[in-house]
Amino acid sequence: MPDGELVAVAAVGGRPAPGRRLSPLAAMLWAKGRVARHSLALVRRESRLKVAFVSVSALLLWIGIFVFALLGLRLFETFGAEVLGEGALTVSDLVVARMLSVFALALFVMLVFSNVLVAFATLYRSREVPFLVLAPVTRSSFFLGRFYECVAFSSWASAFLGSPILLAYGLTTRAPLLFYPMLAAFYVPFVVIPAAIGAVVAMALVRYLAGARRGPLVGFGLLALALLFSYFRGKLRSPDLADTATIQAIVDVMGRTQSPYLPSHWLARGVLSAATGEAGDALFYFLLLAANALLLLWLAAQAAEAWFFTGWSALADGGETRRRGRGRGPFGALDVVLRVLPQPTRALMAKDFRLFWRDPAQWAQFVLFFGIMALYVANLGEARSFARHGTWGAWATLLNLAACMLILASLTSRFVYPLVSLEGPRIWMLGLAPVGMRRIVWQKLWLSVGSTSVFTVSLAVLSALRLDLDGTSFGISLVAIVGATVALSGLAVGLGSLYPNFREDNPSRIVSGMGGTLNFILSMVYIVLVTLALAAVLLWNDGLARVLGDRGQAMAAAAAFIVVLTALACWLPMRLGLRNLERVEF
Amino acid sequence: MITTRRLTKRYGAKAAVRELDLEIPRGQFFCFLGPNGAGKTTTIKMLTGLARPTSGTVAIGGHDMAGEPLAAKRLLGFVPDHPFLYDRLTGRELMRFVAGIYRMTEDDLAARCEPLLAAFDVLHAADQLIQDYSHGMRQKLSFASCFLHDPQVVVVDEPWVGLDPKSIHKVKTYLKERTREGLTVFMSTHSLAIAEETADRVGIIHEGRLRHLGTVAEIKALARRPGSLEEVFLELTREAEEALVDA
Repeated sequence: MPDGELVAVAAVGGRPAPGRRLSPLAAMLWAKGRVARHSLALVRRESRLKVAFVSVSALLLWIGIFVFALLGLRLFETFGAEVLGEGALTVSDLVVARMLSVFALALFVMLVFSNVLVAFATLYRSREVPFLVLAPVTRSSFFLGRFYECVAFSSWASAFLGSPILLAYGLTTRAPLLFYPMLAAFYVPFVVIPAAIGAVVAMALVRYLAGARRGPLVGFGLLALALLFSYFRGKLRSPDLADTATIQAIVDVMGRTQSPYLPSHWLARGVLSAATGEAGDALFYFLLLAANALLLLWLAAQAAEAWFFTGWSALADGGETRRRGRGRGPFGALDVVLRVLPQPTRALMAKDFRLFWRDPAQWAQFVLFFGIMALYVANLGEARSFARHGTWGAWATLLNLAACMLILASLTSRFVYPLVSLEGPRIWMLGLAPVGMRRIVWQKLWLSVGSTSVFTVSLAVLSALRLDLDGTSFGISLVAIVGATVALSGLAVGLGSLYPNFREDNPSRIVSGMGGTLNFILSMVYIVLVTLALAAVLLWNDGLARVLGDRGQAMAAAAAFIVVLTALACWLPMRLGLRNLERVEF
Repeated sequence: MITTRRLTKRYGAKAAVRELDLEIPRGQFFCFLGPNGAGKTTTIKMLTGLARPTSGTVAIGGHDMAGEPLAAKRLLGFVPDHPFLYDRLTGRELMRFVAGIYRMTEDDLAARCEPLLAAFDVLHAADQLIQDYSHGMRQKLSFASCFLHDPQVVVVDEPWVGLDPKSIHKVKTYLKERTREGLTVFMSTHSLAIAEETADRVGIIHEGRLRHLGTVAEIKALARRPGSLEEVFLELTREAEEALVDA
């Protein structure tokens, strides 16, 4: 880059004045801007096919959500009017405001949780932290320089997935043009609030718990999750919808999310006001969000001044002091279990389990996944009466299976895909060893199948029991989830080997790259295709039988399709990934 | 310029550094020697503010690292053995970033950036992404960025990894010249030949304790028979180990 351009782009906040002193915070933000720009430019080095596939898939996903939301909201708009005539209350009038509150609250809670993890990784685990700690930068400047990264990492996905829904809402309600820029304006302070809360929680946890023993910590975390879950479950429990399926019941439950003290409610009210052209109200809720966001950001910066360095030092000290007893504790037991495996697979497995457990960012996210699974299973009891009614039973089986597969896809995308990349600069060690890449890649697959199936099979069994499914539906669910575990593990390990990122140590960043996105999209495609094939068996078997002439043939065709798809989803990426890794030069 | 008083760092029951007292004046080239695990890196972490001492103090240019960390760090530059550099910045962009976090002026940046990149032989690659640099190039860029804010104290941790002989000579000469201008250098190294050649004073740490402190000649005089600094170092650390076993 020519010097002139450097001076031009480097002028953070305007033309550079020769005597002006540069600001550390501006320098940090400027550097990150340049890193982002170079990263985008480096996309040109990626395979064109991969870039095109990911871009088109992302676009199609966005359009799909938009169309789905538009059709749903239009249905709500007209539903009541068709029955009760023009001018009558519609479902939209009754439910949409509350739905928006539920949506915003769910998003808010998820953002708080994910921000705790993102803040931990960004403030404490990132490789640049010691470099910045070394510089004469105040802790609050350091915090603010890293904070924007927390916000960006935690909120881009909700912006991507939420924007088509809100756009559809604006079009359905014929909102004024001002509504659309207002959405962006509301979103910024709304995501800053959970990011600041998450950062404060992360810093407090590190400050007061760094160096503490992990077992009690995990127990405490699970207990806290269970208490939180039982509290919200009590608050949001609905009546048995099959018996008293009334709009009023739904409306009442949704209404409980509309507390005036919740930022999610301020967002929902603000969006609704902007959509109906009530500029004064919209501005009020925007200012309410902005004022709270700024206050929380200031508090978080103060917390950083007070807690960051002490916590960071304690974290570093704890890592160096702990002595790990050989052959004792859970890893001692694991070593005994792994003895059934031959070497070097046993050594590779033992290493992967240990590295996973010793990375707090990894197992903390895993605990969260576990919490989501528990929440899902516990809530299934509410739908049991649905599952007992004929066609609804098939729907319940199908939707439950799709939900189990989605949880599985999240697990494989987040934890399995980065496994090969996480070998990172240590890959030379495996590359030099007389092991062979084939064995290493297959070990990752079996590790993934073995560990994720514990959760997915348990999930399938527990959810089937909660839904009281009949034997056939239970059997289909079990076989399908085992097949999906093999397919999605193969896909994640294969694509992780095909597009490894050996420069990155942070699994969240590895996952958010092009390869990780491709893996997630292909996992979704697999789930949609399997769900459709199972729908053909469970819901539309009569229609399929008419086309194929015989019910048995229809079932066999659907089963064969799923088997071939599963084998292909596992084998093809594994083969391509293996071929790529065998070509890697160390 | 560097003062430590009863500086101690404990990790649980183990003391990595015990009651280290050092006084390194302005313009001195100080080499810190010791076997692996002796406490060199822990000492450096405390000197640079990367680790909090369990007890004792560190002062840089009279500024206490715990009480006035920003004032102390403004005087300090650090070159670690494996430097972190932003892979997706160019060398020149990294220099600009460093200038920002040290609150330099545009004038100072303009005046110092190019000469430093040239002095450490990275000017030709200044507009390439750092991810495309070799290990030696990264190390040289790390030196250039360390000197950008004109530090009065430079702490260097085993800086020779990845450098070719010509670069080692260049860095050595640069550091020596700067100490004549008043820079204080604290260098931890395993390269005893370089220490012998460059150091004004040497400290030998073993098992967390400072065992010997003096000029190269004074340290050599401690040995039973004359030899190179390497031979003397091996003898002194062996004696220290034997004393520990006896105790």
